[in-house]
Amino acid sequence: MSEGALPKEDAVLRVDDLQKSFGGLAATDHATFAVERGTITGLIGPNGAGKSTLFNLISGFYEPDGGTVEVNGTDVTGMEPYQVAEHGLIRTFQTPRKLEGMTVREAMLVGPRKQPGESFLNLFTSPGAVDESESANLAEAERILEEFEIDHLATQPATDISGGQMKLVELARAMLAEPEVLLLDEPVAGVNPTLAKKLKTQIRRLNEQGTTFLLIEHDMEFVMDLADPIVVLDQGHVLTEGTPDEVRNDERVIEAYLGGGA
Amino acid sequence: MSLLDDPKAAFADLSRPEGWVLGVSVAFVLFLFVAMLTGALGPTYFLFLVGLAGMYALLSFGLNAQWGFTGLINFSVAAFFGIGAYGTALMTASGSPIAGGFSPLVGLAVALVVALALALLIGIPTLRLRADYLAIASLGLAEVVRLIVLNERWLTNGSAGLRGIPGFFDGWPVLSTFPEAMPGLRLEVIPGSPVILETAFWQASLNVLLVLAFAGAAYFVLRRAHRSPWGRVLRTIRSDEDLARALGKNTYSFKMQSFVLGSLIMALAGVFYAHLNLYVGPGDLDPITTFYAWVAVILGGSGSNRGALFGGIVIVTIREGTRFLNDVALPIDPAPLRLLLIGVVIVAVMRYRPQGVLPPQRELIWPSAVGGGGTPETPDSGVRERKGGGDDE
Repeated sequence: MSEGALPKEDAVLRVDDLQKSFGGLAATDHATFAVERGTITGLIGPNGAGKSTLFNLISGFYEPDGGTVEVNGTDVTGMEPYQVAEHGLIRTFQTPRKLEGMTVREAMLVGPRKQPGESFLNLFTSPGAVDESESANLAEAERILEEFEIDHLATQPATDISGGQMKLVELARAMLAEPEVLLLDEPVAGVNPTLAKKLKTQIRRLNEQGTTFLLIEHDMEFVMDLADPIVVLDQGHVLTEGTPDEVRNDERVIEAYLGGGA
Repeated sequence: MSLLDDPKAAFADLSRPEGWVLGVSVAFVLFLFVAMLTGALGPTYFLFLVGLAGMYALLSFGLNAQWGFTGLINFSVAAFFGIGAYGTALMTASGSPIAGGFSPLVGLAVALVVALALALLIGIPTLRLRADYLAIASLGLAEVVRLIVLNERWLTNGSAGLRGIPGFFDGWPVLSTFPEAMPGLRLEVIPGSPVILETAFWQASLNVLLVLAFAGAAYFVLRRAHRSPWGRVLRTIRSDEDLARALGKNTYSFKMQSFVLGSLIMALAGVFYAHLNLYVGPGDLDPITTFYAWVAVILGGSGSNRGALFGGIVIVTIREGTRFLNDVALPIDPAPLRLLLIGVVIVAVMRYRPQGVLPPQRELIWPSAVGGGGTPETPDSGVRERKGGGDDE
């Protein structure tokens, strides 16, 4: 069983034979795997295995050299990131992105998709609809902040909170976009253990409420505890896929991490 | 919180820099008023200055919509200003080599359409790329437009410029004859130095009316846009475009809208200028205008509409106020000091208040959503104290 060959009936994300090279380096080398709806799928691999490149390819930030990406059964290969997002795939970034001059709840309000107030004309032709959706979004944003237990930060400047809190806000904001599959790039990197635990609880809770997750993480304990199944990437291709236990005991995975290669 | 509802609270709500700006502005207006009453400042000239201030305010509004909101670096403010001025001049001026003689309203429409076309022309290839490309392309564009205006004599009359531009209200009912119809007034507040208000004064007040209408409309549109979800996407793009893309925003489209909006407002400034000055020449497209607009926006506080307004007024004050330095005996000619003074001001602001004098402070959420059903327990004054406190230091 290799190359991510687990049977997946209901895949919300399907990556097929994806390729990308930068110069002579094949950063993504015929990667194939799928993310089953309702799972928390982990994506691990040693440094330079091509995890972030794969994320960028899936979310439309990079154009693949070959292969396809399907979200919810729709081929999104080569689409712009915003179009991929419209199909229900939202991603976060490894380093939290700061929104200068915004409060936390303001930064949260960037999340909801298809807001009537995002059309310039609507601001003048139908301010009522703008008002309605803005009120609803604001209430929803505050509700989610409460669920994340960071509602006390709502009116703080978004740039003044700690790195871990930023990660929480990022996750909370991504939820406002109502993703069907959420790609998290190292959600607990640089986060203190207490907040990391909190993030884990939140991810699990959101998953139980129906959001599918695909997450890159270097913290093995975190990912082994949270994710099932786990996809292992090495040198741009999928080495194996399985339960945490299977992956942990797989010779090839250990070799990849220890840098066997030879 | 409106000034009329609760004046006391409205004043208490001002942050310290806002209080300062308000105080200085009031003092400045009083000073001008006294100067006018004593005859030291001609009322017609004063209105001309108000017109200029409105024009610079429009230019900085336009640049603020591009740079302040979205972070687009546009170095062709002068080109869009010039397109506005030449657009209406070519349609309306008696000395126009192509059309001429149309109503200024036609001139306004043509100016806006040409500015729109130019904005699209430069935006389509560059807005998909990194921010620097727009900066470089717009720098080139400004020069291209200026050289075309200077050299295509069959179209623009070349270096001779365009004469015979009518006032904006020429041909309008009532307003076109208003300056002549008004009686000459002679006010003598201080014995011996009468203030005389004649046709030229009424003409100038019409111009002020026009620029107030333009600037007022621009301010209304920008203010509403700034605190809307639309403006929020622009501000997200300014901070981090990739984040906006990842959240499903078509950033190219948003950047284009912001760029076009700003360019149209700049063209509006040009239209006003043509009907104020009644003559336009290629010198009006000199890059110094771009420079002034940038100084005004940075001085006022990038992203802040009232900051842009403030910056525009400061620029005119420095530009025109230095003329009066001639009256004071100075060992050197003060004219070149003008640019030096602007340089000193910008250095001082960057050193002591890098966010500008009046940076956007209020949390920008659609106002009725915050005040209404959304979150009554968090009044926006609390938010701003916290934010304002951080700004003041």
